[in-house]
Amino acid sequence: MTSGFNGKFFIDTFFVALSGVPITLLVTIVALLISLPLSFLLAITRVHRIPVIQRITQVYVSFVRGTPILIQIFIIYSSIPLILKIIFEKYDIGFDIYKINPLWYAFIIFSFSSTALLIEVFRSALSTVDKGQLEAAHSVGLTTIQAYRRIIIPQALVVAMPNITTTTINLIKATSLGYALSLSEITLKAKVAANVGYNYVEAYLDIFIVYLILCSIVEYALKRYEKYLNKYRVAHS
Amino acid sequence: MLEIKDIHKSFGKNEILKGVNISIDKGDVVVILGPSGSGKTTLLRCINFLEHADKGHASISGIEVDLHHAKKKDIHDIRQKVAFVFQNYNLFNNKTVLENVTEGLIIGRKIPKTDAIEIAKRALDKVGLSDKYDNYPSSLSGGQQQRVGIARAVALNPDIILFDEPTSALDPELVGEVLTVMRNIANEGTTMLVVTHEMSFARDVANRVIFMDGGVVVEEGTPHDIFVTPKEERTKQFLKRVLPEDYTYSI
Repeated sequence: MTSGFNGKFFIDTFFVALSGVPITLLVTIVALLISLPLSFLLAITRVHRIPVIQRITQVYVSFVRGTPILIQIFIIYSSIPLILKIIFEKYDIGFDIYKINPLWYAFIIFSFSSTALLIEVFRSALSTVDKGQLEAAHSVGLTTIQAYRRIIIPQALVVAMPNITTTTINLIKATSLGYALSLSEITLKAKVAANVGYNYVEAYLDIFIVYLILCSIVEYALKRYEKYLNKYRVAHS
Repeated sequence: MLEIKDIHKSFGKNEILKGVNISIDKGDVVVILGPSGSGKTTLLRCINFLEHADKGHASISGIEVDLHHAKKKDIHDIRQKVAFVFQNYNLFNNKTVLENVTEGLIIGRKIPKTDAIEIAKRALDKVGLSDKYDNYPSSLSGGQQQRVGIARAVALNPDIILFDEPTSALDPELVGEVLTVMRNIANEGTTMLVVTHEMSFARDVANRVIFMDGGVVVEEGTPHDIFVTPKEERTKQFLKRVLPEDYTYSI
């Protein structure tokens, strides 16, 4: 049992925690790449009230928003192997499902939850774009898809950007729950280091600092992008 | 050139258009008058398929189309012939003034970019906005925005331009500049169908006036026919309300 604050361990572990950043970023980026387009399409089904899909979307959003992400992780992490096992045994595929890299589970879980959150972000953003914009686009001969791509999405994105930033930051922080999947991201790496000598305070502080730096950088970058998108809203006469 | 036959449109149980027929020749400037709720705007929106008519037939620049069963291709073809000016301008907020005009030319009409810019600049010069090419709509006054809206329609070189109450969202002192622009393009021989409450425009610029009420055409004729010698009682009552010189007090 050590007493007091172990400065050397604190600095060493900081770099251990830092080495988890690539995995954290990878999970975040893959989850965003999957969930951004998917949630946008599902948001459109909500805005245009497409019968069956919009109802399913609504239920899905309520489920994800109404349950803690840690519980979603436990459910998906324990149920998918069971389902796969049944399928693999049925078709006689000799594949050890318990050797699947936890990274794959992380991709699924975090895409699953951020899609639901982003659906609501896009739905509210799309509803701020006046329907006259689509009508005007139609009247000058644009198809609906062209109108969305060139007129409506750029305007909706500006409104959605602050919430996308929030969702992204929350996603980065949520990946710390990846330790429940034994995913070797920031939190798990530092905790494992701390287990050896019970230097938990130092390790937690390291984790704290790494997330703070990471989130600050991402937030700064996204805010810059937001400002860039916003240029047309700043009147310059 | 444009002929609409027996057009019907309901919103729920509310029947807005109850069988309207209109026909417009090339070069005509036709003004539709009528109290609010008479179906003027809906008629215009049905012609451009911004609303889906329940029944009706249209013949526009040689394209024959059933307004209820129009195919995507027909709708697209008709929108190539018909331009629309909106009450709330509906400029593309994320595009500059110049881009607002070129958008329909480059994407909708597939005109090469350099030609499109040339056409757009000419249209904007015509409406007196040669110094605003690179401004965004948010930095323009309502009158300037509507002039961009008109330039956007004119640049498409359509067979007819539909104006849906182009001045009713404007501050009174800005109405004049928009009407002047509309007068100018009318004098150039543009075919126009205009829904408006500007009686002076109807009287001075239109060569035909249609009075609508309750989803039907009540009366139509030259401005003289309608303003000086109206035949129908409903027309007389409407004109009494809207023309200040005919206004009589009763206590």
